Amino acid sequence: MLKNNIILFILLGILFLLPLSCGKQQEHPILKIGLHEEPKTLNIWLASDANSKRILSLIYQPLYLRDPETLDLIPWLAAGPAEFHPETISYTVRLRPARWSDGSEVTSKDVAFTGNLINEFKIPRHYSVWKFIKKVETPDKHTVIFYLIKPKAIFQDRILTTRIVQKKEWSQVVETAKKKKKPLRFLLNYKMDNPVGCGPFVLMEWQKGTYLHLKKNTYFFGKNKRINGRLLGPYIDDILFKNYGTSDIAVLALKKGTIDMFWWGIQPGYLKNLQQNKEIKVFFNKKSALYFMGFNVRKKPFDDVNLRRAIAFLIDKDFIISRILQGYGTRMDSIVPPVNHYWFCPDADCYGKGLNRKKRIIKAYHILRNAGYTWEVPPVDHSGQVVPGKGIRTPDGKLMGKFEILTPPADYDPLRAMSGLMIQEWLRAMGMPVFSKPMAFGALLEKVKGQHKFDAFVLGYGSLSLDPDYLRNFFYSANDKPRGWNMSGYKNKKFDQLADQSASEMNPEKRQKLIWQMQKILMADVPYIPLYDPTLIEAVRKDTFSGWVNMVDGIGNIWSFCQVKPVSKWKSENSSLKD
Amino acid sequence: MEIRKFIFKRLIEILVIFFIILTVLFVLLRLSPGDPISRIVDPNMTPEDAQRLIAQLGLNQPIWVQYGYYLKNFFLGNLGISFHYGQPVTSIIWSRLFNTMILFTTAVILSALAGVYLGKIASWHKGEKTDTWLTLGALVCHTLFLPWVALILIWVFAYKIGGFPLNGMISAEIWTDPASGYWLKLLDVAHHMILPLVTLFLIHFGSYLLIMRSSMLDTLREDYILTARAKGLTEKVIRNRHAAPNAALPVITSVGLSLAFSISGGALTETVFSWPGIGRELVFAVSNNDYPLAQASFLLIAIVVLLSNLAVDVLYMYLDPRIRY
Repeated sequence: MLKNNIILFILLGILFLLPLSCGKQQEHPILKIGLHEEPKTLNIWLASDANSKRILSLIYQPLYLRDPETLDLIPWLAAGPAEFHPETISYTVRLRPARWSDGSEVTSKDVAFTGNLINEFKIPRHYSVWKFIKKVETPDKHTVIFYLIKPKAIFQDRILTTRIVQKKEWSQVVETAKKKKKPLRFLLNYKMDNPVGCGPFVLMEWQKGTYLHLKKNTYFFGKNKRINGRLLGPYIDDILFKNYGTSDIAVLALKKGTIDMFWWGIQPGYLKNLQQNKEIKVFFNKKSALYFMGFNVRKKPFDDVNLRRAIAFLIDKDFIISRILQGYGTRMDSIVPPVNHYWFCPDADCYGKGLNRKKRIIKAYHILRNAGYTWEVPPVDHSGQVVPGKGIRTPDGKLMGKFEILTPPADYDPLRAMSGLMIQEWLRAMGMPVFSKPMAFGALLEKVKGQHKFDAFVLGYGSLSLDPDYLRNFFYSANDKPRGWNMSGYKNKKFDQLADQSASEMNPEKRQKLIWQMQKILMADVPYIPLYDPTLIEAVRKDTFSGWVNMVDGIGNIWSFCQVKPVSKWKSENSSLKD
Repeated sequence: MEIRKFIFKRLIEILVIFFIILTVLFVLLRLSPGDPISRIVDPNMTPEDAQRLIAQLGLNQPIWVQYGYYLKNFFLGNLGISFHYGQPVTSIIWSRLFNTMILFTTAVILSALAGVYLGKIASWHKGEKTDTWLTLGALVCHTLFLPWVALILIWVFAYKIGGFPLNGMISAEIWTDPASGYWLKLLDVAHHMILPLVTLFLIHFGSYLLIMRSSMLDTLREDYILTARAKGLTEKVIRNRHAAPNAALPVITSVGLSLAFSISGGALTETVFSWPGIGRELVFAVSNNDYPLAQASFLLIAIVVLLSNLAVDVLYMYLDPRIRY
């Protein structure tokens, strides 16, 4: 009897709960977005994870941002282009009328405060750019003048795209921080419960671990205005961000309609399934990314450019793209991604393009043989046929020692782990004693970046800035130090000179030539072998919202969130147009 | 030994063990490669930035100085601030602890109850079809791969049939609606709990069933069971009153420890169901070298496990008066 009652009670309970799964019909449409992980913080100075940055990008705004089509910097919070004054090495920026989400006016004082805060606290990831600012003047409340210590090419791309914070909100925090023993730590750990921004959305509520709710900012400066030819909203009142620990569940949620967009790259394996669903729209966008194989050129035998070039020939990038990336990627033949049209050098040395396996091996064999390498069994026999190579010896006659290609593990990035394995096989065909070794990402970075104890590695940058100043960061001699970004230990005086020139060259055309020369040097010396730039695959529901804007690095950009409309609104507008 | 004396002695032992754990934890976390800054793959993070951050976090000090601060702060009740969240670790753990306990502790209790009950039935019908099916079922469930079970349940019951939410602990739509009352929100949590609970139940009940079955079979061979039968007691009374309570002792140890470990949650379950518990945080903290968060989480688990062990020992003494330490 008791047993039956319990079963009945459980069944009734489940029946009672079932209607909840249908969810409540909202009075106004809410854009529901799936995130791969919860944001870690809403303190803009601490935020270093992708999801925190994404949320904050809808709240805090920069003076300039990129046009989605041309990728040119266009005025956003600024009223017009920045004016450069060479005689004083200064830039003047005028602000457009704008208000913070608390209703107060955005003024030049806020911009100056933001810059001073970064320089005073030496905020990591910002200070390296802002330290070249001598002072910021505010002649009136809508004019800002930035004085530079010396001409700096990255000024526009980096300083003018810094997100501006409200002086009123942060000044008290800054004053308290200054009195602390560790001011920077206090500032970074400051709990920002309700960030005041001037972007299209403001924080409504954050239920940690479950959802984050943004609401339309009624004071948004772009509302109903045409900026860069685009009529801006936002046309949605609310955005709900939900967390999805795995892509499997996020894809199901998208198909079921629990979310309208998954703000994360989708693996090609899900594509067929998604494309079969009529309510799903898939977007393909290029990324400003670089996935590469790097060498430790500080040590033998990788200090030999001939060996690096031969390896570059042996790597079949097209195979990696067609098989490992399932066709969703672009071959890279320079450190700058091809999608970055202006800075990408189209005529740098290109290795193995269009060659089949046999020709690649023969090419690599000739390079190495001419450089003095010998084999017990050469990979190319007397008749010119390719055979498995064995016992490769370096020009000094020594047997090449075993070496490792470090890669992230497959659960972190299957593409890089698999690429490492394939490269291992291609190099073994030449008789090289190579082993691909996946290891925990933190351990890999510590070995490569911290200790420099490695032979070769496969790593990548998922989101490079569109300004190519990173070329200098990655290969400048002085950056060859523990934790420095010159992980390969590459040193080239000519490259350093060009890098210095490019950093201070304010003329874009002249700088382009310098950047192209830098790329040519790098592709000739190959401290890194660029491999691929994966295509960003994103999916949305097309029966709920429409108007997503394609851009490098995906549809999750500020233009999309200012232009996306409920489908019902699109339909009613279109029908009224027809009437 | 007197119970009070025993408890006092065990508490002293627990303190010593806890101090060892405190130290080992500190050393192990710092032996892991990298530091909290090393995983920030941002070309704008210069070596100077990294050094400044390291200094601000106090990680530039000699290891023994760091250890001194660690001990001092621990005894002052300050477990530190998470490097990545920028928030006191106690508040992070506290916000996750309830979520973990409500799911995992419930799952352990339900699995244990079902396991003990079914184990009792299986052993009583040893060699019959009931025993075969129950034992086979328990073995199959026990060896199932948790994420696979979770995904199948989600796919069938949340996606195809559609009676349950896909993941999470609450529905944002209900919780953001001012019209939603307390009961609706409570029901919403219960609704979200069902699939993860069923998953955990399926995975865990089998082990309790098998322990109970094996222990019960041993007990049924005891003389006092024969005596009970000779006294003419009914089979039900012999099974439930004489055999089962004695056979349940090994299960109590298992349940006690499982309950203690349940506060550490489960990274796999929490990831698949996006359940905001401690398990995922623990994995994040360890893999990102967030020392304060990892330390505090492990210490909490250590305290609960040590105290649960003590509680189980005392419970043993209470349940079986023959047992004295």
